[in-house]
Amino acid sequence: MDLDDDSPPTDAAAALRLIQDQRSATARRLDPDARLLYWPWGVAWLVGFGLFFLRFAPGDRALVDLPSWLPLTVLFVLLAAAGTIQAVVSVRAYGQVSGDSARRGKWYGYAWALGSVSIYAGLGRISEHLPHDLAALLWSATAVGLTGALHMAGGAVWLDQDLFRLGVWISVINLVGAFAGPGWHPLIVAVAGGGGMLVAGAIARRRQQQRQQP
Amino acid sequence: MTELDPVIHAQARLRVVASLSTLNVGDKIAFPRLQELLAMTAGNLSVHLRKLEEAGYVEISKTHRGRTPATLVGLSRRGRLAFEEYTETIRALLDPTSSKEQP
Repeated sequence: MDLDDDSPPTDAAAALRLIQDQRSATARRLDPDARLLYWPWGVAWLVGFGLFFLRFAPGDRALVDLPSWLPLTVLFVLLAAAGTIQAVVSVRAYGQVSGDSARRGKWYGYAWALGSVSIYAGLGRISEHLPHDLAALLWSATAVGLTGALHMAGGAVWLDQDLFRLGVWISVINLVGAFAGPGWHPLIVAVAGGGGMLVAGAIARRRQQQRQQP
Repeated sequence: MTELDPVIHAQARLRVVASLSTLNVGDKIAFPRLQELLAMTAGNLSVHLRKLEEAGYVEISKTHRGRTPATLVGLSRRGRLAFEEYTETIRALLDPTSSKEQP
């Protein structure tokens, strides 16, 4: 055992430095890089909805001649990848911490899972009776709406301003997209939604670095 | 001059308490993870945790994660308060003009 470490810090300045260094070092290790939580989702929306717009542009045109199955497949693969990255990063950071935070995270996760399933089950039954372009709008506007609402809820749970603002932003652009109509909605979601997530990730990261400074 | 809390006023225990203070209230961290964050040996950390527990500053609970036993460590309300007071005192020593105890 190191006998030395039972001794007090040499002076007040050393004690304060020790506190600050230790707190920032711990926070750095326990807080996952915010970019890893935001950016994969932003890229998924940007690319996935972007391809959807290019293939199913307004007026039933195809701006780029892609196979019709490609946009949705890419979107779902990228969303699954983003979910996996988020899960791995969170478990690595918070996996050994339990208590109230862990419970909040778990319940929030359940809200996403159960909320999605319950909504999509209903949508699936309606959308089969709709023309393709309206079915696509119904699906994406509902999915994006749920995402916006849950981001706002997450902001409320953790009192996280960035997360809440992102939720507001997503809800507003979803509204704009829904009024713009079929064909335009994916473009707005890709550029403003996906781009908004990339910006939010950069802001959250900067805030995090300021917090972690000793 | 205000006396500094002798339980916290030791480098190793100050590091332990400072680390635990970054957790949210109501959270606990697994012993091995804390050990890794502090880069202390298990024996060394145990000794300091015991002293902190005797003072009522940390709460240690044994639980099970699946089949493996796990030890969880968290700052008690009293410990958090003691750490805040200690930090306040240190700051006041460094900058007496901002101290509330100054007339």
